[in-house]
Amino acid sequence: MHEKANAKALVINYEKCTGCRLCELVCSVYHNGVSNPAKARIKVEKWEWEGLYIPMSCRQCIDAPCMNVCPVRAISRDEELGRVVVDHNVCIGCRSCVAVCPFGAMGFDPAERKVFKCDLCDGDPQCVRFCDEKAVNYTEVSRESLFRKRDAAEKIAQAHKKSTELISEMLD
Amino acid sequence: MFKDKSTAETLKSTRTYGQFRCPNPTCLDRLVPKPGEKTVKCPKCGTEWRVVWLKPDLPRIRGPVWETNIEIARKKLEEVEKKGG
Amino acid sequence: MALSRRVAYIDLSTGKIETKPIPVEIRKKFLGGRGLDAYLLYNHCPPGVDAFSPENPLIVSAGLLVGTLASATSRTHTMAKSPLTGLLGSCNMGGFFSPELRWAGFDHLVIKGKADKPVYIWIHNGEIEIRDAKNLWGKSVTDAQWAVREELGDPDVKCLVCGPAGEKLVRYANVMTGVKNAGGRTGMGAVMGSKNLKLIAVRGTMDIKIAYPKEALEFNKRFIEQITTAKVNQTMGILGTPFIWGATNSWGGVRVNNFQYNQLLFADDVEPERFHEISNETFGKYHMAGCFACQVHCRARYRIPDGPYKGCYDEGPEYTTQGAFASEVGCTSALTVLTGNYLCNQYGVDWLELGSLISWAMELYEKGILTIKDTGGIDLRFGNDEAVIEMIKHVCERDTWLGDVLAEGGLRAAEIIGKDSEQYLIHVKGMQNLHSDERATPALALNIATASRGSDHLRSRPAIDLYHLPEPVLRKIYSSPIPYDGPLSSDFREYAGKPWQVFWQEQCFMAVDCLGICKYHTTFLGATLPNFEDWPKVIYYNTGLEFTPQELWTIAERCNNMERLFNIREGLTPDDPHKGDILVDRYFNEPAKRGAPDVIGARIDREKFLKMRAEFYRYHGWDEKTGAPTEETLKRLGIDNEPSHLL
Repeated sequence: MHEKANAKALVINYEKCTGCRLCELVCSVYHNGVSNPAKARIKVEKWEWEGLYIPMSCRQCIDAPCMNVCPVRAISRDEELGRVVVDHNVCIGCRSCVAVCPFGAMGFDPAERKVFKCDLCDGDPQCVRFCDEKAVNYTEVSRESLFRKRDAAEKIAQAHKKSTELISEMLD
Repeated sequence: MFKDKSTAETLKSTRTYGQFRCPNPTCLDRLVPKPGEKTVKCPKCGTEWRVVWLKPDLPRIRGPVWETNIEIARKKLEEVEKKGG
Repeated sequence: MALSRRVAYIDLSTGKIETKPIPVEIRKKFLGGRGLDAYLLYNHCPPGVDAFSPENPLIVSAGLLVGTLASATSRTHTMAKSPLTGLLGSCNMGGFFSPELRWAGFDHLVIKGKADKPVYIWIHNGEIEIRDAKNLWGKSVTDAQWAVREELGDPDVKCLVCGPAGEKLVRYANVMTGVKNAGGRTGMGAVMGSKNLKLIAVRGTMDIKIAYPKEALEFNKRFIEQITTAKVNQTMGILGTPFIWGATNSWGGVRVNNFQYNQLLFADDVEPERFHEISNETFGKYHMAGCFACQVHCRARYRIPDGPYKGCYDEGPEYTTQGAFASEVGCTSALTVLTGNYLCNQYGVDWLELGSLISWAMELYEKGILTIKDTGGIDLRFGNDEAVIEMIKHVCERDTWLGDVLAEGGLRAAEIIGKDSEQYLIHVKGMQNLHSDERATPALALNIATASRGSDHLRSRPAIDLYHLPEPVLRKIYSSPIPYDGPLSSDFREYAGKPWQVFWQEQCFMAVDCLGICKYHTTFLGATLPNFEDWPKVIYYNTGLEFTPQELWTIAERCNNMERLFNIREGLTPDDPHKGDILVDRYFNEPAKRGAPDVIGARIDREKFLKMRAEFYRYHGWDEKTGAPTEETLKRLGIDNEPSHLL
């Protein structure tokens, strides 16, 4: 039962998020045929007074708390797509998984009395497809940290450039 | 039920990258700055413009080269005022 | 269902709240948003009523496609009789308010009466409550919003709010949402203030059913691609709207020192790229933000880099801020623009009006009509950065004589100041012009002269007229969906063909305002952006309603005529210098002195202008003498029995 080496996940680069919430809209239209962010599997959390926008979605955990807490084993891992899935035929709607998810990624639809979560749109995530900014990406999990490395390195590179400029000024 | 391509969509092919038009209303011709060039001079009316490159193929006018264009404007204003007076 | 959203009538005097469904027949006549607002205003506003009277209805709405998959379906429209002009009051803003209003079950709110103490309206999943706002009154635009979220215990509450300027009845106060999204022009925030209404808070989790979800998703992808690949929107997504000011200033289409010049010289510090740099430095590389479901993201995030407000977070500036606090007042400092932007967003005031009025006062000061005694000791010279910032505060606080006078708007201020002050005012219908100088551009001049809410670019400006587009391209755009075989010219100094372009744009902007889509997603700044032929598809896939492009055109005409009926009823006559479709004399008498060589010497030819206006009236089916829609026109559009009180 090992994760496929090239399994992909949603990789979020929050700095690129413009806060437009198109991801929430397309998610609810794709899954439910309605516009309703309350039913979207992705949500942009905002701190508007400082302009911070952070998209939040399921991390598809390996040792998933939702899976572990489920009393009827309705939640399992789909190793093919590297995702955690809910079997709605088994789910009793107890919301234990909602309570335990550390990322708030499990939703509950009171009308349907069902939990819902990101299913990676069976391999073609609509949030990724519609995000022009590439704030939400569908990438091999092994590459997730490469973005961060590059971003952090860029800051060091800039600082280096500045310091050499400063030194050459001093030498003048 | 719908016409496949609308007028707006067909006009997409008329988009031109890498160039812009001289802002002087009689200079209908396009100015094509060389990649990376910081200023461009209109061969027709002599006005000169500072260029900003938003993307490698997307130059935009940043503003006039002040000294050149103010001088051209000054001469033109003299001419106009002479005619008017 | 998008069509199941209701209209709510809220009486703040009695506390009575009533809701009604919106019949499909009404949708087919007025769509929604601004168009249906115009119908509601004509029906609910008693003729001749004072704008600050409890009887003036404040109408807040979401367009037909708001919240659905049609790209930038974010627009909120607000209407009432304007306290500034006494004519149509109307403003449109982006952000996240109107989608939330729809998820909460409503499309239109008609707010009447006046509360006896400050209140706010709380709308949540079909329920409406009027609540005490004593803890919110006096708070800034942003503080009030964060405070009400705290009170309601929900960080996702969205607000439409008036700031301290609205509370103090500054006649051009804005309604606002978020940090900077503003419904500016015509003083809808002051109407809120006059009703003791601080804000409307909404939160909704109700479905908007999409008629054909799969098709809507696929077509939206194509629609977005068409929009985001346009050069103008790529530029906007990097530099924001300041690029427009930069481009216009380059050739000399910007008002400087009120109206004395048409180009701000050595403006490097207020050029768009400078603001881009400041955002990069104070916020980061990815500093652009978007309104709901918009991929253009034209809104920059920044912190003020220096001065007394150093470190304050804000969004913008816009091209109109550069106009208001740089070119019009003769300043060339980025810091002044950014500080002015911040103060106006916090007070909730229209900087287009305010910047223009400050620059007018500066010209009066230069001419000696205002003295240092009148200004309260402020040296109101052109180019005095500190004076500009001080005046913004004094107007919004109404705490000096001149601040209080300018808060009344241009025409009222001119009456108080007297002497020859009115002849320096740059306005139409009592609303100040934005920063643009239309002396070299007859099409744009006709646009501001005839715009339904006063001197304004967002009602009918054929901005692509400035692009020197080849005639065949112009013809393709302007002869659809209604055939047109008259003249069209690539030269923006021409008069021929321009009335049709302005007429066409007027229907285009009305349609997009009815749908609740942003104007940057239609034929405004880009020639290849969607319009009449593209909208039937998004409307059908999202709502199931079927329209032809021609039908949408007719709806837009009908809605524009509703606005016209309102203006005529409230006293518009074509040549009235205070309430007419006419430019101030300076446009005809003072030639432009700066800019591109072929702009120098330009001024509007009065005779040609009047001919253009007559032609423009003819396209509408308006009487050339009275400017009113003829009986035949009203019959053709099915509005010959208004007010019909169907809603």
